[in-house]
Amino acid sequence: MNGSANKLERKKEALSVKKNGFKEFISSNSISFFSLIAFFLIWEAVCKFGIVSPYALVPPSEIVGSFIYKLSNVSPDGATLIQHTITSLILALTGFSCAVIVGVPLGLLMGWYKPFDNMVRPLFDLIRPIPPIAWIPLSILWLGIGIQSKAFIIFLAAFVPCVINSYTGIKLTDPVLVRVTKIYGASNWKTFLLIGVPSAMPMTFTGLKLSINSSWTTLVAAELLASSVGLGYLIQMGRRLVRPDLIIVGMLTIGLIGALMSAILTKIESKIAFSRRL
Amino acid sequence: MKKIKVSTILNKLLSIMPIVLLIVIWQILATMGFTSKLLPSPYEIYKEAARMFTVKLAGISIWMHMFYSLKRVLIAYGLALITGVPLGLYMGWNRTFDKIVKPIFELLRPIPPIAWIPLAILWLGVGEGPKVFICFVGSFVIFVLNSYTGMRYTDKLLIDATRTYGATTKQQFFNVALPASLPSIFAGVQNALSMSWMCVLAAEMVGAREGVGYIILNGMDLNRPTMIIVGMIIIGVIGTILAITMRWLERGLCPWRRDLV
Repeated sequence: MNGSANKLERKKEALSVKKNGFKEFISSNSISFFSLIAFFLIWEAVCKFGIVSPYALVPPSEIVGSFIYKLSNVSPDGATLIQHTITSLILALTGFSCAVIVGVPLGLLMGWYKPFDNMVRPLFDLIRPIPPIAWIPLSILWLGIGIQSKAFIIFLAAFVPCVINSYTGIKLTDPVLVRVTKIYGASNWKTFLLIGVPSAMPMTFTGLKLSINSSWTTLVAAELLASSVGLGYLIQMGRRLVRPDLIIVGMLTIGLIGALMSAILTKIESKIAFSRRL
Repeated sequence: MKKIKVSTILNKLLSIMPIVLLIVIWQILATMGFTSKLLPSPYEIYKEAARMFTVKLAGISIWMHMFYSLKRVLIAYGLALITGVPLGLYMGWNRTFDKIVKPIFELLRPIPPIAWIPLAILWLGVGEGPKVFICFVGSFVIFVLNSYTGMRYTDKLLIDATRTYGATTKQQFFNVALPASLPSIFAGVQNALSMSWMCVLAAEMVGAREGVGYIILNGMDLNRPTMIIVGMIIIGVIGTILAITMRWLERGLCPWRRDLV
């Protein structure tokens, strides 16, 4: 009897907390909401009153118009927004997944096996300080301006954070755990698989997030320089045609997709590695 | 003592062995004729480097190209430092200000700095303006984020304690919160510099007549892989020097982090 009453009370309490929380959420975020609205209103006013020229900035209302128009129309740059987005996404994900498949195992093995580390690390340190963007001209000469050269550059951009983070992650493995498994007679390979790899997972996921950001940034740079379709190409064409609305539509799409990809990775991370976060 | 020295020297020698081996094998393959014009031999790269350091490239010497790139990076970096850090700190300190600025910042943050290039060229022409602007955007975001995080993660207990002892708001900010967020700010100082070094390359490749980014793009236009590779090596070396200088500065300015690094 007493217990059930207690339960009811607790339920009520939880409910009221929920309600209060919602109210608090509304009242505390109204400032943010108004500030965002003010931002767009000032932007709109600045453009409408002719303070900045329409060749430099267009009001948000026109940008919404251009966005809807670009969803289904190919002019003036030869592809719809959806086609641009899909092309860029396929490229980024191709380079990224190749880098993950090669980079994460490489980093893990380098962190675990000392002789392998001694052999590979100097070569890795040689290419690490060169920003991926600096590879663009060379890879265009080597592989042309098609999908291969861009995928190669994105691969390089995503590869470095993958290796560094999985390397650091496995280096931070608790030595006590390693010794325990060794005492119970596990082989080195088995210790690596059962102790080293799982304990490197949180760091590796941080690396994956870094590398998807890096590959998305580098993709934009590669498409600015040489491409005929893609989001980077869209903003470059916007510049050539002096269409700020196209540039801003492209920039916002790039930002949105970048944010979405990090959000998805964070979601996957919390599913897979949540109990092992350092 | 002496023994340790010998072993460290030996280790250093061992660690450069793979690089030496790679260069030797590469050169042997090249002299045997396995490589093409697209992948020049180490000797050809060396010859090209000697040429590039004596001849004028696009009207100015290679040192001037480096100077131009560095100038752009450092101007933008300085501007981002003096605007971004106070903004981030104040966002972390004052809740109301945070709520006003955060949504606008969050709207612009996911856009990579490189995606600003076309708009920057449209706004600022083709001179120094857009390059400095791009580097500024790249490092500004990192400065704001890191000082904001540092401020938000300041131990509330410390601030409450000083308040109990009657410290003014100003004292709480300058004597407690600011020093507590310094390590996080310094983590950003490093990232921001390498970010703006990357951004200047991108900006120079899209539209410039000078700078190291222009050199590698010029190498592509002239179809000279050797020139690109020398340019890439220069870029890597300058990037490393910048990073080392920063680490050195950090050790001087944040002595309590010495054992952490």
